[in-house]
Amino acid sequence: MTKKKILIIEDNEQNLYLTTFLLEKQGFDVVQARTGLQGLELAVSQKPDLILLDIQLPVMNGYEVAGRLKQDVETRSIPIVSVTSYAMAGDREAILAAGCEGYIEKPIDPDSFVAQVKSFLPGQERGGVV
Amino acid sequence: MPINRDKACHKLLFLSLFIVLLALLYPRTLPARSGDLILTIGVYENAPKVFISESGKPAGIFIDIIEYIAEKEGWRLRYLLGTWGEGLDRLEKGQIDLMPDVAYTGDREKIFDFHKVPVLSSWFQVYARKGSGIRSILDLGGKRIAVLERSVQHDAFVRLSAGFGLSTTIIPLPDYQAIFDIVARGGADAAITNRFYGTMHAKKLGLEDTAVIFHPSDLFFAAPKGVNKKLLDAIDINLIKLKRDTESIYYQSLKRWISEKVPFKLPNWVKATGLVLVVVLLMSLLGSMVLKRQVNMRTRDLQKTNLFLHASEQKYRELVMLANSIIMRWSRDGQIIFLNEFGQKFFGYTEEEILDRNVVGTIVPDKESTGRDLHLLMEEILANPQKYERNINQNVRRNGERVWIDWTNKVMLDEQGQIKEILSIGSDITDRILSEEQIRKLNDELRRNAEVLEQRVAERTAELVIAKDQAESANRVKSAFLASMSHELRTPLNSIIGFTGIIISELAGPLNLEQKKQLKMVRGSSRHLLNLINDVLDISKIEAGELEISSEKFSMRNAVNQVAESLIPFVEKKELNMTVEIAPEVEVIYGDERRIRQVLINLANNAIKFTEEGGVKISCRRCDSSIEVEIEDSGIGIKNEEIDRLFKPFKQLDTGISRKYEGTGLGLSICKRILEIMGGHIRVKSQFGKGSTFTVILPLNREGKDDEKENPDH
Repeated sequence: MTKKKILIIEDNEQNLYLTTFLLEKQGFDVVQARTGLQGLELAVSQKPDLILLDIQLPVMNGYEVAGRLKQDVETRSIPIVSVTSYAMAGDREAILAAGCEGYIEKPIDPDSFVAQVKSFLPGQERGGVV
Repeated sequence: MPINRDKACHKLLFLSLFIVLLALLYPRTLPARSGDLILTIGVYENAPKVFISESGKPAGIFIDIIEYIAEKEGWRLRYLLGTWGEGLDRLEKGQIDLMPDVAYTGDREKIFDFHKVPVLSSWFQVYARKGSGIRSILDLGGKRIAVLERSVQHDAFVRLSAGFGLSTTIIPLPDYQAIFDIVARGGADAAITNRFYGTMHAKKLGLEDTAVIFHPSDLFFAAPKGVNKKLLDAIDINLIKLKRDTESIYYQSLKRWISEKVPFKLPNWVKATGLVLVVVLLMSLLGSMVLKRQVNMRTRDLQKTNLFLHASEQKYRELVMLANSIIMRWSRDGQIIFLNEFGQKFFGYTEEEILDRNVVGTIVPDKESTGRDLHLLMEEILANPQKYERNINQNVRRNGERVWIDWTNKVMLDEQGQIKEILSIGSDITDRILSEEQIRKLNDELRRNAEVLEQRVAERTAELVIAKDQAESANRVKSAFLASMSHELRTPLNSIIGFTGIIISELAGPLNLEQKKQLKMVRGSSRHLLNLINDVLDISKIEAGELEISSEKFSMRNAVNQVAESLIPFVEKKELNMTVEIAPEVEVIYGDERRIRQVLINLANNAIKFTEEGGVKISCRRCDSSIEVEIEDSGIGIKNEEIDRLFKPFKQLDTGISRKYEGTGLGLSICKRILEIMGGHIRVKSQFGKGSTFTVILPLNREGKDDEKENPDH
């Protein structure tokens, strides 16, 4: 079984390190993007199996990034999971409306995080949303 | 046989002789008893009531009667012949004592005395030459009428003809004989005599009675005013007796003078006619009695009516003079003709001062305080009073005080239908006008005040709108701040909790026991901090009305089981029991699963937190249209007085409990509000020291019922 590639788009260095650490420990190939624009480029060039997307990004926010990914034929089929801290009412609806397949609430639980991510991978049984 | 003037002259001569004889002889031949009264009676030609007979002696009904009474009373009589007019003159001057056959009138009563019982009743009748064609009073128009001068019938006829609007030529003559003569000769067209004379004499002269009858009257002896009351009383007493006795001289005389012809030579047919006439006369006498009664009754009625009219006129005068209204009559040129007492007092003038003065300049000022020209108004009223039948205008009192009068103006017309004067009746309505003005002023003031108030309300509303906008904007700022704060707080917590977890799970390398224990404390504190942040964010959202509830299909059974499972570590840690009972009918429902779990976890956590012994029981069942979840513990319980405050935000922070039991105190408040937003509610039952039971009631919507059989498992 080939390693699954996951693109993480996250501007906070510590959080980026945390999720990268957890995923790599579990044997995932992780590609990091620190801005939305970079994320879009890497999504096209790296063809990841799944994208973890932070919503509160500088310059281009997560909604826009998700929207663009879903408009692009090349990236349309890649599942996007938003990792967010549910700041405002309507955030969840907005996330799903922007084209994300799912969301994981911040702060993440290191014990169950990888299992949650896996459930969104194509060919996997989707788990409950916590 | 006609009686002519020559004969009358002879009679007069004869009578004079006779009277002289009486005067000379009587005292001697018939010595007067002591107290004998000598009365002089006026005699004139008025057969058959009084006249000089063929033999030259006074005769007639009145003479018969007075001679009878004189004999009874011991009076001695003398006669003085003259005309009717001379007789009245003499009576007035006291030259004679009695005048026979005088009709009673009010005017005569002023100068003469009358007794009370009438001797005869009579009426006046119009006589004319046969074939005159006079059938009613109207036929007398343009005719020459002979009447007895100074007589009642003279006056009565003048009034009567005036009443009918007739224009007649009246020829006054001294006696009836002359009257009939002049008509018989054609010097006049009609004659008026009393019915007795007419009945007796008309036929002889070729005259006939017409249907014109008027002025029924009672006939008396008249005496000079205030001279001999006893005399008249005696006449009355005797008359009553005479009238009562049908065999008396009274009736004999009537029979003699009315039924028996006076010594005239008459043909047999005339005698026969006379007989008939007698019967007719008797009948008419009877009729006259009846008539007299009726006349008396009518007279009494009239007197009553007169009295009544007099009284009512008096009342009317008083009413007009003293009425509490201004009553004024004024002429076409504006002059005051009459002003009643009330009006005089009201305006402050005496009658002398106000009469004949113009209304303008006295009671009417030149201009009203409103500016209306009253000079013009008065001219208009005079020009067209009908239009101003009701008019309110300002007037002025003598002292200059202005008053408002409500006038009713009535036009009084003269015979030609021209406006003669105006009758104005006025009421003082100054108080009313002033009150109305006051009310108007108050209303205006109220309106102004209301406008000011409205203005203020509008201003205030505008201010409030701004304030509301500001508040809303502040609220938005607050929400944005909270969202931002929440994000900013979570981001570092994400690293803390995440890396602590990684280290504890020894993914980054092995730890010793102490390190592990301490790191677990870090993780616990981090989670608590996260809960606090979540609660504050929730309550903020709720209070800002921003908490949104989704409605998705989910398995209630699974949700309750998973909540219970997640609590197992804590239950075990405190060595408590936990039982879960889910009724078989509890399956899939519609709702916000995440929020329902949040509520259940919160309540179950509390139960575990406040229980030291025993355990926690979670049971779930379906009622008619709701799902009920009961979380029962055997913990410290809640005092009754605490229960109401239980669901208030930050409640726990108010008490000392927070020291022992960690928590924000926001949990129950959040649970309650979330359930309310979902249309459900929370119920609490507790016994202090023995435990509490919290029951969550969630409504089932229709979709939930429809899908209840569906298998909830994915």
